[in-house]
Amino acid sequence: MTNKKVQWILWVGLIVILALYPKVFGPYYTNVFVTFAIFAVFSVSLNMLLSYTGLLSFGHAMFFGIGGYGTALALKHIHGLSLLPAVLIGLLSAAIFGLILCPLVVRVSGTAFAMLHLAFGELIHVLALKLRGITGGEDGIGGFPIPPFSIPGVVSINMRAPENFYYFAIVVLGVSLWAMWFLTKTPFGQIQVGVRDNAMRIDYLGFKVPQTKAVVYVVAAAFAGVAGSIYALFQNLISSGALNVFTSFTPITMTMVGGIGSFFGPILGAAIIQMIEELSTRFTEQVELVVGLILILVILYAPLGCVGLFRSLKQEWSVRSARRARLENAS
Amino acid sequence: MDPKTAMYVAQGIHGLAYGMILFLVASGLNIIFGMMGILNLAHAAFFMLSAYFSYQVLAMTGNFWLALLLAPVATAFFGILLERFLLRKIHALGHMGELIITVGVSLVILAGVKIFWGTESMPVKIPPLLTGLVSIAGMDYPVYRLFIIALSLVVLGFMALLLYKTRLGKIVRAAVSDADMVNALGVNIPLVFMFVFGIGTWLAGVAGVAIAPILLVFPGLADQIGMDAFVVVVTGGFGSLSGAFIVSIVFGLLSSYGVQFLSSLAPVLMFAFMAIVLAIKPTGLFGERE
Repeated sequence: MTNKKVQWILWVGLIVILALYPKVFGPYYTNVFVTFAIFAVFSVSLNMLLSYTGLLSFGHAMFFGIGGYGTALALKHIHGLSLLPAVLIGLLSAAIFGLILCPLVVRVSGTAFAMLHLAFGELIHVLALKLRGITGGEDGIGGFPIPPFSIPGVVSINMRAPENFYYFAIVVLGVSLWAMWFLTKTPFGQIQVGVRDNAMRIDYLGFKVPQTKAVVYVVAAAFAGVAGSIYALFQNLISSGALNVFTSFTPITMTMVGGIGSFFGPILGAAIIQMIEELSTRFTEQVELVVGLILILVILYAPLGCVGLFRSLKQEWSVRSARRARLENAS
Repeated sequence: MDPKTAMYVAQGIHGLAYGMILFLVASGLNIIFGMMGILNLAHAAFFMLSAYFSYQVLAMTGNFWLALLLAPVATAFFGILLERFLLRKIHALGHMGELIITVGVSLVILAGVKIFWGTESMPVKIPPLLTGLVSIAGMDYPVYRLFIIALSLVVLGFMALLLYKTRLGKIVRAAVSDADMVNALGVNIPLVFMFVFGIGTWLAGVAGVAIAPILLVFPGLADQIGMDAFVVVVTGGFGSLSGAFIVSIVFGLLSSYGVQFLSSLAPVLMFAFMAIVLAIKPTGLFGERE
């Protein structure tokens, strides 16, 4: 009972902090936070595949980019489109693309899955560069109109103001995070973990393995699309850079640093990486070097990431305190 | 001979040369994968590193043959360091850790190259012996492309001899099918792994030196060839050398004729080919495992 109360207080506290954040920290750090939130959702969507289904994708950026391009193209070409439908278009375009790839990718796993995505990601990247008429090539699509958030007859909020956009982004991204968290708690989420741990057994229990993988895959694609869509709106620009391999590796780095195998690990990892990038760009231009070294060090010394470190520390602590208690009892 | 046929033949030579380079890179990847089950994502970075080494040797001595000898060996040395000090330690963690650590290494190599040599493209001169055209049966062929094809064939012959005619090759082939058993029979498998990793990166190194005069030496080299080589390995089937060979040649020809006929979509052809193959056979053309 008290535990529930503490939980409620924590939630209320979190919401208050999020609500007051832009007032306290000013526009620069508000933008940093929006970037963090975008990449947190992107990483968590990758983690749906990685931790819960055991599929490592080296091409998750394609869904991120397609979500972004979907929203940008819709806003550019459909006159008077309002904000939420634009984000929804981003989500749907990524999900539909995921659905197209499904029949092919659910048949493979492990290294082949990773490499297949590396190749498809690059294919989409090349297409975005070559189909200049639609995507604008290297320059991408920029300067598309950003409509106000409006409920007809009730309210209309200008989204050009960073603070208003912050609230909008936080709500959309927060709902996305909650939806993914909810999915992992459903019976379907349990089957998903079962597929990772022992696909054959899940098959014998009468669940359909390829279909389960397919659903997870499309969900992960859809939420990566949401992250990309918000990213495009936030920058008011989407370019082929959002589709390249480096963008695919970003959420992998974040997940590895934060902690593979836990839902909140990628969020923590996104925060850490965001901070490191923020700090390292002040001292050096070699962000790649920093990211590469972090990846190597994390795999070598903390393969389960920060969450894994916390867990093992906690375990050690409890073992120690138990031993101490036993010693005291004995004496 | 009429100019149209000449064009076809010239493009064919270009395609073959590129295909052979691709095969050198892809075979290195494939040998490492076949033996150790590690997909070395830093492979393309080693390829690029070797091109830079050859530039450096050429800048210091001006001798192309020396560069061809030294640069791949230096690259192989770095490859062996990677195997010995990073990959061996995390082998117990499984494939995901190996994939990600090689990504980390490739990022570090890329950054290191940018720090040491800058981001500009640097030209590498072909030695005078290999410049110009040679005329065979009334047609002119660029000597350097023919040289690349010949070099690759020599390297391949050497590899085949090593694999099929020596005791070491026998051990390597046995280790591909069951490393634990060979280890139990008293062969120092970690040492063999290290050697194989060195050979694999050496192959990438040879390809890197060979390509340096054709393309310029620049940091994007790894992306350009690396992606193609990975696609070759996936399409040909993991661990299958014959698959890699056929697919490399097909891709080389696809890319050179593709540039000729539908230039803007040439890079897409390769991926389309891969998608078709994988849709029919998910393990690749000749692959038996994933």
